[in-house]
Amino acid sequence: MQDVKTYIQSLFTAKGIVVSSNKSSLFEEFIVQQDSIDAVQRIIENQNSLMDKWKIKNRIADILSQQIVIPNGTIGKPYLGHINFEKQNLTDLIFEQFEGLEELGLSFNKTNDCIEGIPNLSGDLKFTLLFKINGEEENEPLNRKVLQLVINPDPKSLWKDIPSDKTDKFWKEDDVSISDKIGEKNIVISSKRGRSHKNVGSFRDDDFAFKHFAKSGWSIVAVSDGAGSYSLSRVGSQIACNAVIDFFENHADAEKSKEFEDKIISYNETSDQSILKEIEVLAKQNLYKATVFVHNKIKADAEETFKTSPELFNNPKAKSHLDYYHATFIFALFKKYDFGYVILTFGVGDCPIAVMNLEQTETTLLNWLDVGEFGGGTRFITQSDIFHSTEHPMATRFNFKIVPDFSYLFLMTDGIYDPKFVVEANLEKSEKWNEFMEDLKGKNEDNTVVEFNPENTQIAEQLSKWMDFWSQGNHDDRTLAIVY
Amino acid sequence: MRRLPVYFLLDTSGSMNGEPIQALNNAMSGMINSLRSDAQASETLWISIITFDRVINEISPLTELPLFQLPEIICPPSGPTNTGKALELLYDKVSKEVKKGSPTQKGDWRPLLFIFTDGKPSDIQLYTEMIPKIKSLNFGSIVGCAAGALADNSKLKELADTVVHLDTADSSTLKQFFKWVSDTIEQGNKSMGTVDTVSLPSPPSEVHLVI
Repeated sequence: MQDVKTYIQSLFTAKGIVVSSNKSSLFEEFIVQQDSIDAVQRIIENQNSLMDKWKIKNRIADILSQQIVIPNGTIGKPYLGHINFEKQNLTDLIFEQFEGLEELGLSFNKTNDCIEGIPNLSGDLKFTLLFKINGEEENEPLNRKVLQLVINPDPKSLWKDIPSDKTDKFWKEDDVSISDKIGEKNIVISSKRGRSHKNVGSFRDDDFAFKHFAKSGWSIVAVSDGAGSYSLSRVGSQIACNAVIDFFENHADAEKSKEFEDKIISYNETSDQSILKEIEVLAKQNLYKATVFVHNKIKADAEETFKTSPELFNNPKAKSHLDYYHATFIFALFKKYDFGYVILTFGVGDCPIAVMNLEQTETTLLNWLDVGEFGGGTRFITQSDIFHSTEHPMATRFNFKIVPDFSYLFLMTDGIYDPKFVVEANLEKSEKWNEFMEDLKGKNEDNTVVEFNPENTQIAEQLSKWMDFWSQGNHDDRTLAIVY
Repeated sequence: MRRLPVYFLLDTSGSMNGEPIQALNNAMSGMINSLRSDAQASETLWISIITFDRVINEISPLTELPLFQLPEIICPPSGPTNTGKALELLYDKVSKEVKKGSPTQKGDWRPLLFIFTDGKPSDIQLYTEMIPKIKSLNFGSIVGCAAGALADNSKLKELADTVVHLDTADSSTLKQFFKWVSDTIEQGNKSMGTVDTVSLPSPPSEVHLVI
């Protein structure tokens, strides 16, 4: 009876009731009376019940405001999202059911606490958890907590295909694919507008050009990639490709060219290595002139365009009119001699040139790539710095190579190189090039085949189709030229 | 695959308590939703969120957008704005997380930094020390956003290459601002020269560009 006494004493103290000393025996009698004991017990029971009810209410409120983490999903892809009740401190939660999952294509599997199924909607979706917690009365209504589930849209479905504006002064065809003979070899080239351009209706920045000069026996293939962040880069890439052909067709130094051919003949007769060295020097001098010619041609066009359309030159980041035309640039010249093929190349930017031997056992990368620390960082033919850089001497951008013959000569923009080779180191690996050829010949997700046969008149369409391969995160323009 | 890493530094100091923090939560959530339906962002965007008040919290480590879940941003009822300390953590994170290109590794796109504050740094000495270090990380763009009358544009200007000022940190202004942020992010992966910064779209009328 001690707790009854204590209870009544503290009640009286709290209420200011004083039991005087001459009434202490009366008080002792009062607290042992059955109805006093019952009253105290009822009060304590009611108090406990009040506290329990509050605890439950409080806990439910906490659960309702708690963020329950459910992994994100993707529409159309099998989803398995585990709800870890233990980790989220929800062990006192008595699960009843979910409402609204079926509509999303999902269901809850009680055996492993997983939401599973294939989501049929995307967005910030909501469904409801119905639950009770330990200690709640049987007949209480279920508590309802709205949960959020993020279902991502299918990335492929987000891309739009907006045609480029044909009325634009510098409009360029979105996709071009072509095949032809080039000297004794054949060539197929496809250049296609990237997803990122399609998505906003902008233009293809890549370009290419090729030509066989019947008179001299030389052939040339050029590929260029206009910088996405500059507004006239598609013009820059176009001028670059056409200008280099113009140079070798109309502006090359005839005397130097003759000297070059004479030396080749005497090398052919004598196999004298010192003559070979001289040939290399001569070749590179000639290539250098070509690159200066290209640079100046773009520059002249930039100045001309500025005169007629100054409103196009409104980028505060550009330091000169030439900057608007920023484009990477590669080209390869090749000619068949008795002793084999002479291949001359130049490259600025991040587009590789490579040649595969006749036996298809070895592929050699013919240029080095300007790859920055970060994506997109590269160098352009439009930057005058490249001509007198000590860090990356211009001379190293040229290559001179003699091969007995070759099976394939490749030129491509980073739109192909990024998804297919990923990193520079892979361009040095012959097996990667063999995989690349296998891919072209049909070993790919869509089983698209490019048949490298001179009789194949469909090859341009085939390559064009192959170029449409899906690769997440790679949405640049794609240009691929193959001499075979 | 190239990633586009985007870092958010958000002021959660005492003065943000109440309506501003609510508005910030709503605006961030709206921005994430709109990015989810952007084709490029859905494939390349990675997001990190760091909040700063007395303490610095990486409330969401760098996560690819499809897996990203926005946690609720909360702030204490009062306390200083340790922007310098936040930059210190940011420097550490970016140095470790952002991949640089090499012959055997694909480099990320240059990261972007958005820093949002309604006051000025309390740890001004550390803040000043961190600025050159943050700049050495070669961000594609650092955008500072000063919200409200008490926000200090000039301190932000020392760090950011673009500073915008919002008159108030209310829901509709923040929404406009973060809409612009998502437009900016969509600009973030294009090829450019090795030293250029990302060109930003022009901000909406609620957002004043500080020159």
